[in-house]
Amino acid sequence: MSHTTRMTRRELLAAAAGLGAAAWLPRIALAQAGTLVAATFPGTWNEAQRTILKPAFQKATGASVTQSIILGTDQVSRLVAAKGNAPPFDVAIFDSPQVLDAVKQGLISEFPVAKSVNYKDLLPPFQDKWGPKISMQVIGIAYNPKRVKTPPTKWSDLWDPKYKGRVGLTALNSQLGIAFLAELNRLRGGTVENFDPAFKALRELLPSVNAIGANLGAYATLWQQEQIDIAPYNFNFVQTLKGKGVPVEFVVPESGAAGWDTSLHIVANTTNAELALKYIDLAIDATVQAAMMEPPYDVIPTNRKVALAGAITQTLAKTPADLGKIRGFDWAKLNPQRGELIERFNREIRT
Amino acid sequence: MKFNASTMVLPLAALFVACFIAPLSVLMALSFASEQGAGDFTLKHYLVFFGDRFHLSILVDTLMLGVKATLVCLAFGFPIAWLCARAHARWQSVLIFLVILPILTSVVVRTFSWIVILGRQGVLNQIVLALGLSDEPLRLLFTQTGVIIVLAQVQMPLMVLPILTVLSKIDPNLGDASRALGAGEWRTLWRVTLPLSMPGILAGGILTYAACITAFVTQTLIGGARLIYMPLHIYQQAVGANNWPFAAAISVIFMVAVLVVVGLLNAYGRRFERYA
Amino acid sequence: MPRPRTAIDLEAWSLRLIFGLLAAVAMVFLVAPTLIVLVTSFTDSESLKFPPDGYSLRWYVALLDADQMQRAAWTSLVVAVWTTLICVVFGTLASIALARSRRPWIRACDVLFMSPLLLPALAFGFAALIYINQLGFRPSLSFLVLGHVIVCVPFVLRTTVAALSQLDPDLLDASRSLGASEFTTFRRVTLPLIAKGIAAGAFLAFMASFDNVPVSLFLADERTEVLPIHLWQQIESNLDVRTAAVSGVIVILTLALMVIAERVAGLTRQLR
Repeated sequence: MSHTTRMTRRELLAAAAGLGAAAWLPRIALAQAGTLVAATFPGTWNEAQRTILKPAFQKATGASVTQSIILGTDQVSRLVAAKGNAPPFDVAIFDSPQVLDAVKQGLISEFPVAKSVNYKDLLPPFQDKWGPKISMQVIGIAYNPKRVKTPPTKWSDLWDPKYKGRVGLTALNSQLGIAFLAELNRLRGGTVENFDPAFKALRELLPSVNAIGANLGAYATLWQQEQIDIAPYNFNFVQTLKGKGVPVEFVVPESGAAGWDTSLHIVANTTNAELALKYIDLAIDATVQAAMMEPPYDVIPTNRKVALAGAITQTLAKTPADLGKIRGFDWAKLNPQRGELIERFNREIRT
Repeated sequence: MKFNASTMVLPLAALFVACFIAPLSVLMALSFASEQGAGDFTLKHYLVFFGDRFHLSILVDTLMLGVKATLVCLAFGFPIAWLCARAHARWQSVLIFLVILPILTSVVVRTFSWIVILGRQGVLNQIVLALGLSDEPLRLLFTQTGVIIVLAQVQMPLMVLPILTVLSKIDPNLGDASRALGAGEWRTLWRVTLPLSMPGILAGGILTYAACITAFVTQTLIGGARLIYMPLHIYQQAVGANNWPFAAAISVIFMVAVLVVVGLLNAYGRRFERYA
Repeated sequence: MPRPRTAIDLEAWSLRLIFGLLAAVAMVFLVAPTLIVLVTSFTDSESLKFPPDGYSLRWYVALLDADQMQRAAWTSLVVAVWTTLICVVFGTLASIALARSRRPWIRACDVLFMSPLLLPALAFGFAALIYINQLGFRPSLSFLVLGHVIVCVPFVLRTTVAALSQLDPDLLDASRSLGASEFTTFRRVTLPLIAKGIAAGAFLAFMASFDNVPVSLFLADERTEVLPIHLWQQIESNLDVRTAAVSGVIVILTLALMVIAERVAGLTRQLR
């Protein structure tokens, strides 16, 4: 018996040493290849950037990229927390509101326009020295065509008693949530300073609400399980779900389309500035944007060389000039209230 | 080097001081700061927490969630342990294997599978509708009932194993004596088996309760946006709102609450030590 | 006299029936979700339905391209290996002290070492992040390992102390009386006898580290991505069946590892 135990112990020690040595391998491997860490948004963004942008990047630079899914506001929090040290990611993706915050707090560097190959091909509204806009996002009403026979036409349809128990909402931590609340506020006569009308309308809506998605993945699950039939949603997310066979359609309400820009930025103090530039440059490249405009992503392109096509032309805009008509929000005034709005929302929705 | 108990416990003790006690002290210190970096001492975060029904209700809901989930674990876990204790040795190994399989599988994986089961078109609703138990699909996902069900499944092994240990150690002669004296099976269970297995039930209960109330993944994935419990609350304040001092205060309150409940259960358990 | 006996028999059967039924339901309840996610992962459609409409391996094939998920899995593995090594070395030493001595300060250490099992790991993870931050460091792989060690070492301690308590002290006395030093006694008598207990604890610590979420949530950042956090991100963001495929792989690997642990260390016997 002592013979076998001695052997076992030796084997165990050898195995442990081997594993310990192996532990160093990935660090060596990573150091050689060079890895960019880029933030990405959930849903369509993550999927489109993973299937189209990542391979393009790897082909062009030979380096790999880790795409971390983080909401815009969380990215700002993490960059602020890491100030003074090396940032946790090299490329940030922001919606219009976060750009203002990021510039104010010195979280991003100016985009080196001169070094960028594709920047000059961007349509003028999408050029920005702090980081080029890679797309636009538009919110509207989504509904389940199998269970809602007549498509809704205006936001107030959500309050229609015939949809009682079938309405969905999303939490306010995502841009979709805040935009919906702001739009609701505007329609109900509130101002940026006074959100009481929006919350009054929300309280009236709550009895009809079946579920509130805590995050975009949970929201998508609610649609897939047909637990909600009518809700505010983002154009791109609806197209992507449709591509997965989920019964959902998107309509622009009568009050008009509302939306914002999405842009990529080089994070301040990153050690991978060159790779970051290449990554962002590829995101505004005509070939990449044309590929991302294909279903099921239907990402709105910002490069003038890419003509609008597909679901975008059917629902949102036929020409770039139409894109300019999509109503924006006053983020400068909305941003400071975000934390307060989120807390107020969380209190209202608690069962 | 002297090879005695004190020197042997020193390495791990030193590690714990540096990596466990120190961070927790820093956490407590931060909870008394008004802002990160400010060197002051204030109780304002604690006052905000206890003065607001919103925050207090999150704490109470979390503690009650633990109680309900633990009771469900006990109701189903005790029979499993009882069955296992009476099984043949080979079956025992198989049963214990099946019992610990869930707890060794990733918690994210286990909770994710429940999303597939509890959804409106999920397995459970398919069965319920097929059996005609209800006309409408049950709403379980993103409700407290759903969270309790999933928590019970995820944490049940923690309840089963200590009870099994204790049941295996109960002298079978005691049961026989009870029956010889004329007591039925149920009476034997109530007056002999249960009191003797109390230490195991309490140990299992404490572990299960602690695990249920700190189960961040399960509470958040199944609870959804309308059910906020303490772990998510801490995370939202720490990472989302970047409000570290307030998050630190919530963390301290949470830790103290857990310790108080565990302490109470422990104290209750001492009554049964005389049976050991 | 005969009547009371049948009455007691019925009672015995009623107890066995009810408990048996409850136990059966509970076992199904325990095992079914894991099986369901395994079966669902073989679907050929883009959505998660059970039972699947069609079967295929496409999502498992898709994992071959998922280099980010693979990197996260590798990082989790590396962290788990280092965590287990440190837990075993420090934990075995401490276990011997805990099993041997009844001194008050060592009893206190016992409570201290077990407390990570009770205290909310999320609070500890957050505390660790603040601590590292205040010391002027950034989260890194080393800090992540140390954080995991704290929450995983209780498993090694539990099984090793249990194994030590079953050790016959006469064997140690015999070894010493034959002239062996403390260290030799430890190496040639104690260690081989508690090896299975240590192995079981090491296995539990490994799985606990690989699966850990609350500590990794704060100490693992985008550059040191670990698998549970990556999966968590995916579930929160997309409807992605690849998540089910990864889950299937994890379930199969866990089963395989458990069977090995059962053969080598008699895992189920250590936990009884």
